[in-house]
Amino acid sequence: MGELISAAPLARARRAGSGRRTRALAYAFVAPTVLLTVAFSLVPLGMLLWRSLHGGGVFDLAPRFVGLDNYTAMLAEGGGHALGVTAVYTTGFVVLTMGAGLGLALLLNSRAPGVARLRAPFVVPLVVPVVATALIWANMFAPRFGVVNRVLAALGLPQADILSAPGPALLAVLTFGAWQFFGQNVILYVAALKSVPRDVLDAAAVDGAGAWRRFRHVQWPLTRRHTLLIWVVTTLTGLQTFTQIYVLTQGGPDGATSTALYYVYDQGFVQFDTGRANAMGVALFLLSLLVTLAQLWLVGRSGRAR
Amino acid sequence: MPASLFARRAAVYLALGLAVAIVAFPLVWMTLSALKTNAEVINPAAPPWPAVPRWSNIGEALSQAPFGRWYLNTAIFGVAATAGQLTTGLLAGYAFALLDFPGRRVLFVLALSGLMVPFSAIIVPMSELLGGLGWLNTYQGLIVPNIASGLGAFLFRQFFLGTPRELGEAARLDGASELRVFLRVYAPLARPVTAALAIILFLQNWNNFLFPLIVVNTTDMAVLSQGLSVFRSQFTTDYNLIMAASLIAITPVLLLAVTAQRHIIEGITLGALD
Repeated sequence: MGELISAAPLARARRAGSGRRTRALAYAFVAPTVLLTVAFSLVPLGMLLWRSLHGGGVFDLAPRFVGLDNYTAMLAEGGGHALGVTAVYTTGFVVLTMGAGLGLALLLNSRAPGVARLRAPFVVPLVVPVVATALIWANMFAPRFGVVNRVLAALGLPQADILSAPGPALLAVLTFGAWQFFGQNVILYVAALKSVPRDVLDAAAVDGAGAWRRFRHVQWPLTRRHTLLIWVVTTLTGLQTFTQIYVLTQGGPDGATSTALYYVYDQGFVQFDTGRANAMGVALFLLSLLVTLAQLWLVGRSGRAR
Repeated sequence: MPASLFARRAAVYLALGLAVAIVAFPLVWMTLSALKTNAEVINPAAPPWPAVPRWSNIGEALSQAPFGRWYLNTAIFGVAATAGQLTTGLLAGYAFALLDFPGRRVLFVLALSGLMVPFSAIIVPMSELLGGLGWLNTYQGLIVPNIASGLGAFLFRQFFLGTPRELGEAARLDGASELRVFLRVYAPLARPVTAALAIILFLQNWNNFLFPLIVVNTTDMAVLSQGLSVFRSQFTTDYNLIMAASLIAITPVLLLAVTAQRHIIEGITLGALD
């Protein structure tokens, strides 16, 4: 009996969160996040799905069910093309930024004196406003006086209006997008390589493994998990490219740089065809969901990063 | 130092130097162009640097557009949204990690569901929703939808799961209320995480372009990024002034980045790899 009495406060303390007042506090603590998420993520998502299956624009008071009509119209009217552009852009974006990120991180990981401090410059493009840098790149790609054309002229090559030709315009937007983002992958790969134990690397070196074999058999397998996570973040970023295109090309010339998100914006806020815009919104949601689910599955499979 | 090692190091420095030059070049080009006359900018035969640096371009750009107002709007949006994201994330993360209450699982899934719904996918219904609330072109329209942060809730929960439960138990034994346990024992522990998260959330909000584009369409409510876009459409061919405007927009963030680069790197790593 006496034992029970003396243990009571401890048990009460252990059972933190079981009292009524604690419960009230817990609900009060989670309420803002839960309620705001429902109001500003789930409700708009519900509206998006519902509207994508109904006809009529914003000003139509009697929407009617039209099945997949919005989707077929979207795919036929430039949406299919935009999804293709998004696939090309995202693939290029992933290859460029992850390749540059890994390559530079390996260099930053070397033991040359003073190299570690060189991480800082790669942060810069990540933090400056995209609109401001987009104006710079628009200037650099300008016909005649842009730096790209100056270089072409100096090399005796023909001048080009880069942003007005479909192929070059997409390449230009991709180059700029990769420039703005690759620093993030440099930083993440530096962190990933730091997690590889130095003594394992040193042991491999003593056994006569050169830089390539050390990378191939030690660093790459030990950072595979990070690579997967970096791929997820990079892919999601690539899929949702917008500002670069809004400023540089407005999706042109002739839809050559109209990515999925730019298409949603253009149809929804410029052409006022919300049916097509919402159908593409759903496509964008599903694509992102696939990538996010892949992430959850991968993370679930392999535990925590560090 | 053997010759082979010397050559390898030289190659490392050279490659890194080239990469840093690629990062820096557009910013250098912007600065040079911002200090030229427009005639110098559009003359392909002119040298890349101005004959006489015209610092007056910056003053001129400033006087041509309400940059002060745009900065103020961006600051209000950035500070309020970031403070909201940190506060709600801290509270929710703590409750999900260390308190037991009925429905915890379901509510946690709801809290994280926002991570599954990228804003880009819902821009059309979002503008309809905010239009219905009468929140277009208002500060609450900019701020309130951005307060909940699934990432914040998730990261704070991760953090608190790693803190010892004994701390709270000891405080409860001393008769501290639950609120006191949170405020006095656990919240102070989260300071380093909060700092790292604060910086990257603030930068994200500060540089957010798509959300304000959907919510705001008047010049006096525009944030800095939108203002720049407006400035460009008004001064299409004044390339030197456009570059001066970019310089005005970039410089403060650049200074912040230089002083807080370690925290930024920490925040980026925290957000992506944990």
